[in-house]
Amino acid sequence: MSQLNDAQNAPLESRLLTTGVERLALIGRHADVLMQGYTQDEVPLEGLSSNALRKLLAARLLWRPDEHSGVKLTPKMRELIADMVADESRRQVNADVADTLEQIRTQVASYRESSQLGDYWQQEQQLLRLRQTVDDLNGRFADAIDSLWQRLNSDFGFVSRLNDKVRENERAQKQVVRLLDGLALIDFDELIDLVGSDGTLRKLLISQLQQQLSQHFTSLREVQSRLTELMARFRRMQARSRLVSGMAAFLREHPGFTPGNYARRSEVPELCNRAAPLSAAGSAALDHHHDMALLGSLLKNLPSVTHSPEVTAAAGPTVMAESAMVAARQQALKQDVENFYLHVVDSSADEPLSALAYLQASELTWPEEIWLYQVIAEFQGLGQHEQQAFDWQPKESKASPFNDVRLIHDVALRFAGIA
Amino acid sequence: MSEINLARMLSHGPLLERLLAGEFVCAVSDESAFRQLQDDSLREALDAYLRPLNRRLASNDEGSVYFLAWRQVDDAAREQLSRQLNDTVNHLLPLLEWLQLVQEALGRDAVLAPGDVLKPGELQARSEDNPSLRERIERLATDSFFGSQSEQLDAQVKQVFKRLKEHGYLLQPHSDRQVYRVTGKIDYLIDWVRFIRDEEQLPIDTQGEASQETLL
Repeated sequence: MSQLNDAQNAPLESRLLTTGVERLALIGRHADVLMQGYTQDEVPLEGLSSNALRKLLAARLLWRPDEHSGVKLTPKMRELIADMVADESRRQVNADVADTLEQIRTQVASYRESSQLGDYWQQEQQLLRLRQTVDDLNGRFADAIDSLWQRLNSDFGFVSRLNDKVRENERAQKQVVRLLDGLALIDFDELIDLVGSDGTLRKLLISQLQQQLSQHFTSLREVQSRLTELMARFRRMQARSRLVSGMAAFLREHPGFTPGNYARRSEVPELCNRAAPLSAAGSAALDHHHDMALLGSLLKNLPSVTHSPEVTAAAGPTVMAESAMVAARQQALKQDVENFYLHVVDSSADEPLSALAYLQASELTWPEEIWLYQVIAEFQGLGQHEQQAFDWQPKESKASPFNDVRLIHDVALRFAGIA
Repeated sequence: MSEINLARMLSHGPLLERLLAGEFVCAVSDESAFRQLQDDSLREALDAYLRPLNRRLASNDEGSVYFLAWRQVDDAAREQLSRQLNDTVNHLLPLLEWLQLVQEALGRDAVLAPGDVLKPGELQARSEDNPSLRERIERLATDSFFGSQSEQLDAQVKQVFKRLKEHGYLLQPHSDRQVYRVTGKIDYLIDWVRFIRDEEQLPIDTQGEASQETLL
C-alpha cells in the first residue's frame, strides 16, 4: 500500500518541485524590479514583458489591489525582503500562535489516523509537516527576537529623530507584549494530553518545543527590560533638550532676569556650594640636607642664558635707570613691549610678526636697539613653558667672518599656542 | 585609623590637588579617579583630610561629577558664592545657546552629554555654507563670555572651544589634535538650569515645545 502511495505521489511531488524552482528563480531574474517595488509605492512596469508580469502575478510575488491601481509587491514578498535585508523599520514581528496551535492539533490528529490505519507513508508525511510547523513557530519567535535585538543594539538607528525613536520603542514594546501573549497561549498540559504515549511526538512537541520556547521567553523578558531602560534614557534626553531650549528662550525674552541669591539663604542649596579654588603652592627650601643635592642639580640644569653681548652692552643705560623719570620711561617701554606680545598672541596670522615692523607701524618712538633689547628681555623673563608657546625667530648674523659674535638685527614672533 | 587614612591619602595627592584647584572630576576628565571616588570609605577619608581647609567633597544628584564644597558656609564663603552665582547666571545664556547651536549644526538628537566627541573643524565646515549658522557663531563668539575679537570663522570657533576648555566643559585629550570631549561638568550646568527653573518657578514646560511657546 505504501509503495502504491509512493507511486501516486511521485508526479505530484515532482510537479511541486518544478513549479517551486521556477517561481523562486523569478525572484532572482526580476530582483531589480522587485526591489524598486519595495522602495517605491508601485512596481515600475517599463522593462517588464507582459509574459513576465503574468508569471510574477501567478507566483503571487506581485498583485494588483484593484483594476485602476498599479502593480504592487504582495505582503509576503515585502516581508521576505525586509527580513533578508534586516530593514528594521518594515520588518514584521508576528508569531501567529493561535493559528499555529490549531494547525498542530489538526496535524497530530491526521498523524494519529494514519498511524491507526497503518499508512506509514502518510504518517511520515504528516510528521514532516508537523516538524515544519513546529520549526516555523520556533523560527518566527527567533526572527522576531532577532529583529528586536537589532533595533535595540542600534539604539533605533534606522530613524534619526529622537521623537521617532521614542515611537519606535513604544511599537517594539507592544510587539514584545504580543509575543509574550502568544507564548502564554501555548499550554504544555494540553500538548501532553495531545501527544499521549507517542515517543516521537513527545520529543517534538514537548521536550524540544518547551526548551526552545523557554529560551524565547527569557530573551523576550531581557529585550523588554532593555527596551524600558532605553526608553527611560530617550525620555531623559528629550527632557534635557526641552529644558535647554526652554531656558534659552526664557532668558532671551527676559534679558534682565536675576534669580534669587541662593548663597544668602540660611541653608545654601547643595548645588550652589562650590568652594573657591585653592592652589597648593610650594617653593624651594634648603632646610633639608638631602634636598640640597637635588636643588643643586636642578640649578645646574637651568638653561644658560645666551644672548648677544652686543645688545646687552647697547642696552646698558636702560638697565641702569635710577631716577623716577627714567623708571617711568622704563615702565612705558615695558608696557609697549607687553602690548606687542599681546598683539602677537591675539593675531591669528601664520607669519611671525617682526618686532621692528611693529615698532614702525605703531608709531612708537623707541630707538630700535632699546626696543629689541626689551623684547628679548621680556621673552627671557617668561617661564620655560610660556616661552615654548612662542615661535621665536631671531634674525642675526656674525659680526665678521672671523668674529663669532652674533649681531641681532630683528626678532620675529608667532604665537604657537600653549601645549 | 588616621595613619591608615594618611597613608591612603598619599596616592591621592594629584586628585586632591585638582579638586582643590576647583576642578570637576568626572568619568571623562579622570576615569580612574572617578571610579575610586565611588568608594564610600575613600570619600570619607578625603572629607576628613579636607576638614581643616573647611572643604568637603560634593557631587551632583546623579553622582556624575565631583567637586569641593565649603564645609561651613561662613560670611566670606557666602560672599564668594554670591559672586560665583552671579557669574553662573551671566554665563548661562551663551552656554545654552552654544549647546543648541552644536545640536542643530551637527544634526544631533540630544543635548551634548559627557563623553561626546566634538571637532571644531566639523562645526566650522557645517557653518561655512550656512549663513544663518555662521551668523549665530559670530554672535556667540563675540559675546563677552567667549570674547573673540576676530572676524574669521575659524578663529571664532577656536576661541569658543578654548574658552569652553578653560571652563572645564571640554577636554582636549591631545593638545596637538583638534578633538574635544564633553566632560561631566555639562551635567552640572544642566542641573543648574533645572534648579533655577524650579526655584524661580519659571514657566518652562517640560512637557512640550508647543505649550511652552504659549506660556512665554
